[in-house]
Amino acid sequence: MSTKRSIYQILFEAKSIDDVAPVPKTLTYIILGFWTFVCLFPLYWLIVTSFKIPIQVHDGPMYFPGIDFKPSMHAWYYIFVDLGNDTLRPYFNTIIVSISSSIIAVVIGSMAGYALTRITYQPKLGSVLMFIGTLVLTVISVVWLGLAWPIALASGLALYVVMLTTVGRRFKKSLHNNDIAFFMISQRILPPVAVVIPIYVLFQRIGLLDTHAALIITYTAVNLPIVVWLMRDFFESIPMDLEESAALDGASRYRVFFTIILPLSKPGLAATFLLVLILCWNEYLIALFLSTANAQTLPLLVAAMNATRGPQWWYMAVVIIIMITPVIAITIVLQRFITRGLLIGAVKG
Amino acid sequence: MKVQLKNITKRFGDVVAVNQVNLDIKEGEFLVLLGPSGCGKTTALRMIAGLESIDEGDIYIGDKRVNDVLPKYRDVAMVFQSYALYPHMTVAANIGYPLKLRGVDKTERQEAIINTARLVRLDELLDRYPKQLSGGQRQRVALARAIVRRPQVFLMDEPLSNLDAKLRGKMRAELKHLQHELGITTIYVTHDQIEAMTLAQRVAIMSQGVLQQINTPKNIYNDPDNLFVAGFIGSPTMNFLNGELEDGDFVMTGCRIKKVGKGSRENIILGIRPEDMQIIANGESQIQAMLYSVELTGDQTIVTAKLNEIDLTVREDKDYSGRIDQMVQIRVDQSKIFLFDAASGKRIRYET
Repeated sequence: MSTKRSIYQILFEAKSIDDVAPVPKTLTYIILGFWTFVCLFPLYWLIVTSFKIPIQVHDGPMYFPGIDFKPSMHAWYYIFVDLGNDTLRPYFNTIIVSISSSIIAVVIGSMAGYALTRITYQPKLGSVLMFIGTLVLTVISVVWLGLAWPIALASGLALYVVMLTTVGRRFKKSLHNNDIAFFMISQRILPPVAVVIPIYVLFQRIGLLDTHAALIITYTAVNLPIVVWLMRDFFESIPMDLEESAALDGASRYRVFFTIILPLSKPGLAATFLLVLILCWNEYLIALFLSTANAQTLPLLVAAMNATRGPQWWYMAVVIIIMITPVIAITIVLQRFITRGLLIGAVKG
Repeated sequence: MKVQLKNITKRFGDVVAVNQVNLDIKEGEFLVLLGPSGCGKTTALRMIAGLESIDEGDIYIGDKRVNDVLPKYRDVAMVFQSYALYPHMTVAANIGYPLKLRGVDKTERQEAIINTARLVRLDELLDRYPKQLSGGQRQRVALARAIVRRPQVFLMDEPLSNLDAKLRGKMRAELKHLQHELGITTIYVTHDQIEAMTLAQRVAIMSQGVLQQINTPKNIYNDPDNLFVAGFIGSPTMNFLNGELEDGDFVMTGCRIKKVGKGSRENIILGIRPEDMQIIANGESQIQAMLYSVELTGDQTIVTAKLNEIDLTVREDKDYSGRIDQMVQIRVDQSKIFLFDAASGKRIRYET
């Protein structure tokens, strides 16, 4: 075999198996470089814009502060000093609402996900349908027949229990864990626009409009299915042997969950928490309906910058920068938990 | 503590995993449940542990019926095939976990951990995490975690099957010594007959959910109850010949072995172990066969000969030499012959 390589081989064939040939390598870096630019340029533009005065924004593209325009702090001054509390309030609202609803969703959702992987549920299809039937009947009797709701609810419940203990025993066909999981994710099928008005009416009736509670409850409910699905997948990867071993060692189910399963699920929990947090953080539509002044969140503030006097890019840039910084910080902190190989050493040799 | 299984049955859907199994395990005994994969031995073990519910029958640990007792109240410890170590805990924390759950206080726990670790030679590694250990060391951590609380019964589910051959031999010896030292009733599940023969005081052989025979390793080997046990135990496996009994002689085409049984009977299977046959140059032989292959394994030679398309395995000493495709004379030790009923697989025994 000759050791001399043709031009084609030199350009397109790697020298060794660990190497990449020059042409593909160059192409790869060009594509990567282009994509990096696409991703990072908007961020750069945001930072640059936040130091511009309106006239510089309107006068066409200026790229380098200090070279083609003179940087100014006026937008930062306006947002933090002139607006002051009007910026800080939405800021803290966003932090409180997103973090608390993410924590609640992750705690409840991971417990549900765990139950769905480890416990077999077999609710009878008949009893589920019967429940829906009696519920519909109750609603009808309240709305159209004008029955007082406590009476209707009590009698509906009684009817259901009676039917369950009599005909309920005969049902054969039953639902399984996957059906329950599908039911959960089906809550996300409806577009938010379709549900936001009923949700608005609901919170108006119970008098929780424009409060943190309304947003926290709604965000938790909306994000639960995502948490259940992601965590269910994660729990399935944890070997059953570990839990059985702990059960034999004398641990209760809750003990197993909190001392064995959760510590091993850190990567999954961190990733899920991050995803849910970002979804809450950037949520606009529901916040628009449920909050006005007191519970207003950052996305609304950004949108408000585009109101009376046309888009005020310089102010928006400042708000967006302060809006993304905490998320970036939390991502960097949680990054260290999102590691692979936490289960190494658990099973096999 | 003694363990009793009375008519235990377990079904998974239509599959009967364990079928009417009766076992009586004495206090301090080392019992091995042996069988091919899928024979129900692990299911039986898991039922004793309480990880699997019991469809029929009763399990007693000591004098207490434990059918409806939760695993943690049965006071049994189990070593899993996969070790099932807690990867986020150090070796010391892994070993101490059962004690921690039982509310043993810290100083006492520390002492127990150190003593147990010394017993399985892990005292140098207490601060390591499972991922920093070799297979054999992980195996010992699993063992230590089972030993540390001195349970009434040890359950072991193929604990050595993930180790390489050399380490397995070493761990086997350690395990046997440890069980002897502690004197705790042990039920050990394996599909490896060498493990079963070397470790067990008694071996229980299972196939398709049914208990086939339970006896000492020696008796299992020398006196199998049925065709399955005879074929499963021994390596190379026992030779089986299909034929019939004619006035006490075993007859099949091309072969007649005199005075092996009594009377006449059809559908007989004759079993003979490779070491109970011999290839002879001259003298009286019962079988004439064509030499098919000669394999030297070091301390012995495994010779395969063909008789009417049936493989006969003969164990010869290491100096044997023979040419392939040559006719050989085989002598059978008549006192070591087993006869089985071909239809039921049951051993045919004669009063002597």
